[in-house]
Amino acid sequence: MSGTATLAANLPVVSTGRLGAVLRPVLWLLLALAVVEAVVVVFGIRSYYLPRPSVIASTIMATPGAYLAGLWRTFLETVLGFLAGSIFGVVMAVLFHRWQTLRELFFPLFVVSQTIPVIAFGAVVVLWFGNTLFAKAVISFYISFLPVTVNTMLGFSAVDPRQVQLMRSFGAADAQILRRLYLPAALPQLFVALKLASSLALVGAIVGEWFGDTTGLGVLLLQAMYNENVAGIWATIVVSACLGMGLYGAVSYAERRIVFWGGEQ
Amino acid sequence: MSASVSSDSLRQFSRGIAGALLLAAVWELCARGLDLPAYVLPSVSAILAGLANDAGSLLAAARFTAAESFTGYAIGCLAGMAAAVLVTMIPSARSVVIPLATAINSVPVVAYSPLVLLWFGIGMASKIVMVAIAVSFTIFLSTIAGLDRVDRKSVDLIRSFGAGRLAVLWRLRLPTALPLVIAGMRVSTVRSVIVAIVTEMLGAYGGLGWVIYQAVLQVDFVKVWAAIIVASAISLAFFGAISFVERRYVFWR
Repeated sequence: MSGTATLAANLPVVSTGRLGAVLRPVLWLLLALAVVEAVVVVFGIRSYYLPRPSVIASTIMATPGAYLAGLWRTFLETVLGFLAGSIFGVVMAVLFHRWQTLRELFFPLFVVSQTIPVIAFGAVVVLWFGNTLFAKAVISFYISFLPVTVNTMLGFSAVDPRQVQLMRSFGAADAQILRRLYLPAALPQLFVALKLASSLALVGAIVGEWFGDTTGLGVLLLQAMYNENVAGIWATIVVSACLGMGLYGAVSYAERRIVFWGGEQ
Repeated sequence: MSASVSSDSLRQFSRGIAGALLLAAVWELCARGLDLPAYVLPSVSAILAGLANDAGSLLAAARFTAAESFTGYAIGCLAGMAAAVLVTMIPSARSVVIPLATAINSVPVVAYSPLVLLWFGIGMASKIVMVAIAVSFTIFLSTIAGLDRVDRKSVDLIRSFGAGRLAVLWRLRLPTALPLVIAGMRVSTVRSVIVAIVTEMLGAYGGLGWVIYQAVLQVDFVKVWAAIIVASAISLAFFGAISFVERRYVFWR
């Protein structure tokens, strides 16, 4: 412990700042877990309501294979649906931007489609595509594309028409204007939507698994619920939380790397 | 000017309707032309007939689900806004609370639903709690973002006239935050109905989610689709109501 303290003291100021920024949340988390543990023990809260964090951890460690397999399966479903939804969302935004009639005909339907509880749809999708990874990815896809389309269109509409005219006057083709002007201009808005879409895609995957499957985090949740195994529910929540935060962190990291100029947020 | 605006929105409206009719026509043609069985894709006319047939039970279920979503939504909005105002008033709490809220918000809400069902039973209470949780985080984060948009110089100006913390909050921060808060509220409407239905599917005494679940078990897919249509009608009406409030009261946007 003292070794890390002296190490931190020897580092340059900038680095300790960064190190501190990483360490502080972790320390807070450990402190919070210790407090919860103490509260549960001192007040004698029954594990039916809140199991001790150490019990949750040991539940995961008892059968790490099941949780890892569930995590991997749900991760695959989420990422497949998320990628398909993002690509489809951007393509639709480009099409809607290019042809106004198309937008006026179908954009309202896009919006209405999101008021349909996808979950209700889940049973039908599983029936269509069978009880496969693909069916869950389809649900993730359906739940995640609209924010991407809406925000990309918002980003497109913020482009200064004079810049378009300038590029035209230099003889730029439509595809070039799209690639060099519209898409970069929409990137900051697009990433806001991608962060939302990543967590929506995860919800889609987990709920999709409720309609019948053998592996996945959603399955683990259901099994724990039917057995009234509260520690098991918490263990699955913790694993889902790690997956959710990991996805969010990955998209945020990509955002910082790609939209390096959007530092004002 | 105003004439051209209204003819513009009229064209958009009629094209929106045309798009919906086009979709319905293609759907009907596919279902009938390919002679698809009802469990794959029932025709639009069959769904409408089913809707009329089960109107009574669907309406009762819709009322159940709507009551859960509205109550949870109201609680969630109030809790989210109160928490955001509190955090803004106590600056030292920010650096802990906001990363925590962002982290919790990235956890899929539905993961909590088995736990909430075990804690609060399978009556209405568990659904209201789930909706309130889902809504409050969204509202909290958008209210914080809105309260932060205030220009530093405006705060300094109003402070120099002798305004206290509360006056700054009431006269400057809240009006500035309102557009973002209402935008968050608009997005949350759809979410609240979805969360209520998802939780009902795991266990309930009534409601659209329960109807859908039962219909799936009985392989009655016309009823599933009819319930889906009722559910989206509720979401659309809810969404429309909040959008109306937004246009009416956030007129300066």
